Amino acid sequence: MVRAARLSLEEFAVLSGLHPDLIRRLVALGLIEAYRDPAGQLWFSRGELAAVARVQRLRAGFALNYAAIGLVTDLLDRIAVLEAALRGAQRRGR
Amino acid sequence: MADGDDFYQILGVPRDASQEDIQRAYRKLARTYHPDVNHDPGAEDRFKEASEAYDVLSDPETRRRYDAFGRDFRQVPEGVDPETWRRAQAGAGARAGAGAGAGAGPGGFSFSEGDIDLDDLLGGLFGSRFGGRGSRRGWGPIPGADQEAEIELTVEEAYRGGRRSVTLSSDGTRRSFDVTIPAGVTDGQRIRLAGQGGRGSDGARNGDLYLLVRIAPHPRYRLDGRDLFVELRLAPWEAALGTSVALDTPGGEVKVKVPGGTSSGRRIRLAGRGLPNPKGKAGDLYAEARIMVPSRLSRAERRLFEQLAAESNFDPRKQR
Repeated sequence: MVRAARLSLEEFAVLSGLHPDLIRRLVALGLIEAYRDPAGQLWFSRGELAAVARVQRLRAGFALNYAAIGLVTDLLDRIAVLEAALRGAQRRGR
Repeated sequence: MADGDDFYQILGVPRDASQEDIQRAYRKLARTYHPDVNHDPGAEDRFKEASEAYDVLSDPETRRRYDAFGRDFRQVPEGVDPETWRRAQAGAGARAGAGAGAGAGPGGFSFSEGDIDLDDLLGGLFGSRFGGRGSRRGWGPIPGADQEAEIELTVEEAYRGGRRSVTLSSDGTRRSFDVTIPAGVTDGQRIRLAGQGGRGSDGARNGDLYLLVRIAPHPRYRLDGRDLFVELRLAPWEAALGTSVALDTPGGEVKVKVPGGTSSGRRIRLAGRGLPNPKGKAGDLYAEARIMVPSRLSRAERRLFEQLAAESNFDPRKQR
């Protein structure tokens, strides 16, 4: 089966189990990435399903507001990049 | 979670801790073990334990009932006197020998439907509550987080690939996986085990488990990406005159042609003899020349070296 490269808002809502209105809100807050086509429709890459799941877990686990979740996810992503770079440097130094 | 684990112990606070202390302890644990912060496979269970403990101890009323009745407090109806309950529990244990019970055994309590908060009970049973009370409302099922663990492979295993059993132990639970190692896996690469990561709640899909590959240091081989370096020991005359040497590599024995005039440190490249690459060109093998001399010379050897020293005008410290 060939997976569609992009998901429509409706498909994304079904797969993530969230209401389309909530997803629109998360996009507006910059917590998940979406592409808006000339007709105004939102499209999502499959990778955003993992991003939205992380938003849910962080919101549930820490009772964070959305602005704080944006900060936390940005920091976590930056830490992941730095840790990968550090591992690479340690390997080369060995 | 083990039944014997005490909620206060899980949070690391004394039984008389203030509500603030309990909250502080929980927040600290949550920040340490939240599955999106800590990718260790054991972290999720620690986080869920702490959340469950905090769920109970953060509410003074449930905390009071937990203190009075212990872990099973949800099964004790409202309004039961703790002393009576304790005597009843003790009575139930002793009754076998004591004959007629006082009539206050556990059977004396009847369960009516209103007594048990089903939501609480199910939440506790399935560990599906993620965090504080009620905070999940409106979110529905939440997929699990990805996890990460390290596996250490020998250079030979990385070269050959194949199936390998991997056991992860965290907090006393052990999980074993049969993992297919791709031939030519490199240090720092991640092997994905789909669906073996954090558990999704309420039937949502699980996260993935990533095994971060570490190549163990090897006494003979050194790896740089897919290039393999191996020391090639030579006698002075072999290095000077040139020779052909058999060299053990992870892929079997190979013949290395050493050209005459080879000094220590020279690298002889054997193209494509490094680690295989599933997606392209294999790495190369470099045999690094290292000239060794006998630590003790025989009489004949000494004479010949002395003769060489007298004849030769080679000065290794000149030029360059």
